[in-house]
Amino acid sequence: MVSKTEESQLQQLENQVENGGGGAWEYLSLVRKLKLRRSDKVLNHGLTILNDPKKRSALGPDEWTLYEQVAIAALDCQSLEVAKDCIKVLQKKFPESKRVGRLEAMLLEAKGSWAEAEKAYSSLLEDNPLDQVISMRRVAMAKARGDILGAIEWLNKYLEIFMADHDAWRELAEIYVSLQMYKQAAFCYEELILSQPMIPLYHLAYADVIYTIGGLENLQTAKKYYASTVELTGGKNTRALFGICLCTSAIAQLTKGRNNEDKEISGLAAAALEKDYKQSSPGKLSLLSSTLRSLKIQ
Amino acid sequence: MAKSMSFIVGVIAVLMLSHAAYSTIQYRALLKITEDEFSGPPFEVVVELALVLILSLFAGLTVPGNFRSILPDSDENRVVSLPSNMNFMIFNHRGKAFPTEADLKLK
Repeated sequence: MVSKTEESQLQQLENQVENGGGGAWEYLSLVRKLKLRRSDKVLNHGLTILNDPKKRSALGPDEWTLYEQVAIAALDCQSLEVAKDCIKVLQKKFPESKRVGRLEAMLLEAKGSWAEAEKAYSSLLEDNPLDQVISMRRVAMAKARGDILGAIEWLNKYLEIFMADHDAWRELAEIYVSLQMYKQAAFCYEELILSQPMIPLYHLAYADVIYTIGGLENLQTAKKYYASTVELTGGKNTRALFGICLCTSAIAQLTKGRNNEDKEISGLAAAALEKDYKQSSPGKLSLLSSTLRSLKIQ
Repeated sequence: MAKSMSFIVGVIAVLMLSHAAYSTIQYRALLKITEDEFSGPPFEVVVELALVLILSLFAGLTVPGNFRSILPDSDENRVVSLPSNMNFMIFNHRGKAFPTEADLKLK
């Protein structure tokens, strides 16, 4: 979870590192902690540290974590040579490690030799059938090959065992959304809201999905979830505010204006939006007011 | 700086507390000599104890650090983006078409 403070901290560090101000290791640690995908930057700055023996030995045991991080980033950037070298170093240090074995299988995956990667993962799973990460890699591999239905099947099998893994639930929800299977996606988001009720983004995603399904009842539910997002973010989420406007206008269309209780909430959302736009982009204020007028909110 | 100040305040509070205890013991010893009943500590000690309460409360609230916000919409707690699902990362994406600089090499 990336909070607002952490985001601004990351932004600042990133600017500092990009302009050659130092602090590369702090940046890499933060990226690792927040689990972000900044592969090109990790590859660049990680390699600078790794190629400098003085800096590298200053890290102590964290050196090996950095090798792993850079290896994965290199795989993501298709710099297979760098990844291979990193994995070789790790292999020398930890000859029997499963974690390194996983990296090797990932290298096969990046090369596109699916059958060999599959074989490697199967042999790793034989040693430890409950290895979560390897099961996830299998899902990812099915997805990478374009076999989305296979990925869903693997993921469902995985979730039967590890029901509390919210990252997997989110992945499943995103896959369902990409296939336009909104009912199933809504179920996944319900599960996510149950397990982490204080994260506004799940409420928002659930509301989006429910709004997309449509129908009066669903629209009313979506409005409620947009409202809970607004509550959890203190009204700083523009998408949720727009969602409320869209929901109320759609409900008014469906009920032909018989339902008057929504006037207040849509008015409040519109006022919050206007205030926000006035502050951060005054040039687009006219665009906003014409949009709101077409939604018959103003 | 402020932290060490309030730590000193805490130390003073503890010293004052032991001083109050010592004075009360002395007072009771005096009462034994004059053969009076002990009905409560003297007024000065009660005032000192009240002061100790205030000072130690101040030190206890400031020395351990600042309060964290519990509001869900404060900047520390408001989640603005979810971590990218690194475990489900796939490698054949459109980035494949843009090879990175060739001179990157692990020495």
